[in-house]
Amino acid sequence: MIEITNLHKAYGELEVLKGIDVRIEAGEVVSVIGPSGSGKSTLLRCINQLEEATSGRIVVNGHDLCARGTNINLVRAEIGMVFQSFNLFPHLTVLENVTLGPRKVRRMPVKAANDVARRVLEKVGLSGKIDAYPSQLSGGQQQRVAIARSLALSPKAILFDEPTSALDPELVGEVLSVMRDLANEGMTMVVVTHEMSFARDVADRVIFMDGGHIVEDGPPKEVFKAPKSPRLKDFLRHVVQH
Amino acid sequence: MSNFEFDWSAVFQAVPALVKGAELTVVITFGGLFFGFIIGVTAGWMKLAGNMVSKAVANFYIEAIRGTPFIVQVMFLYFGVPLALGFRIPPLVAAIIALSLNAGAYIAEIVRGAIQSIDRGQTEAGRSIGLTAPQAMRYVIWPQAFRRMLPALGNQFIISLKDTSILVVIGVGELTRTGQEVIAYNFRAFEVWFAVAVIYFVMTFSVAQIIKYMERR
Repeated sequence: MIEITNLHKAYGELEVLKGIDVRIEAGEVVSVIGPSGSGKSTLLRCINQLEEATSGRIVVNGHDLCARGTNINLVRAEIGMVFQSFNLFPHLTVLENVTLGPRKVRRMPVKAANDVARRVLEKVGLSGKIDAYPSQLSGGQQQRVAIARSLALSPKAILFDEPTSALDPELVGEVLSVMRDLANEGMTMVVVTHEMSFARDVADRVIFMDGGHIVEDGPPKEVFKAPKSPRLKDFLRHVVQH
Repeated sequence: MSNFEFDWSAVFQAVPALVKGAELTVVITFGGLFFGFIIGVTAGWMKLAGNMVSKAVANFYIEAIRGTPFIVQVMFLYFGVPLALGFRIPPLVAAIIALSLNAGAYIAEIVRGAIQSIDRGQTEAGRSIGLTAPQAMRYVIWPQAFRRMLPALGNQFIISLKDTSILVVIGVGELTRTGQEVIAYNFRAFEVWFAVAVIYFVMTFSVAQIIKYMERR
């Protein structure tokens, strides 16, 4: 589903990703953890080309992202992205936020797009907020709309970039529960997160990154209970303390 | 103390001519701002998204206009340029071209500033759902940026409207020119300039109210 080979990413002198190799199978839920600055978000953003890789190969769903002739817009429509800061379109209602992709990218007629939007909004528990504007919603509700916006394009995978980091603590639960439902339905998910409970309980696999490398990669039980590298041990000690 | 008396009849008699002049002021203002907006959006976009050459062209244009007085631009265009071209430009056409070029430079900066002020995350969110770059601009960035432009555009509208008075130097019969002409035969400078000022104020105040209304929506 997602296959990354020897991925490097540098901003001028600063090398953020120093050779990443990873395969993510369809239906897998992968949590990416690690200290800030370790390259987790950059890795995620390379998968849908919001950042262009400096070198390496990324194949998503059989599309080689670095090859000429790949229509990146169609690939992006197949991989949803949920941002830390929601990034809903503030000038559009909830319904319009969710239908924009289906209408303009998939060229769906308005009525069909509205039907899709109603279905995905019901899924995230926001049927009642269809005509609200993002500014009228809580952070948790906004993030659930953002998830619905991704779902409306029937993506093959969804990337989550610290989806709960900008939320008040009491609103984290509602977003995680939507994500848990998606995981149970078999959605392929790559989740950069600081929520260790989500990584432990929901993910099939946990990737620990540090300094631009993947340091450990395995089932949550192994990664959390039996960390091999000193860096992961150190990281987990710090995280558990907080 | 002089025994000056405000002569209302001088105002009443002047009103039909002044209103005609005001109409021309409105025509020039709308024409100038219409083309000025097109020029401004183009130049602003060239500065934002263009290559080195288009950025340099846009920059040169904006700096040249901002750095010279409007009255000099008007006279250069009307009296100077025809000598180089070999044909005259009708005053009204010259007036609208001058105002468009002048307003366009300021509008370019307004457009650029507003688009740059929209959070990068908006473009990223648009692109992440598969919108092409032009689609993201059209459906996501532009509507938000346009709303932010409104106060500054309203301001520019008012400035350009008042700047049309400078067009007296090329003899366009707008409001200020009409005022001069009326005074030339009735000598009631106080009453007529007062009436001219009131008419300008009514026009600019109306524009301000319309912009306020649009901002609320």
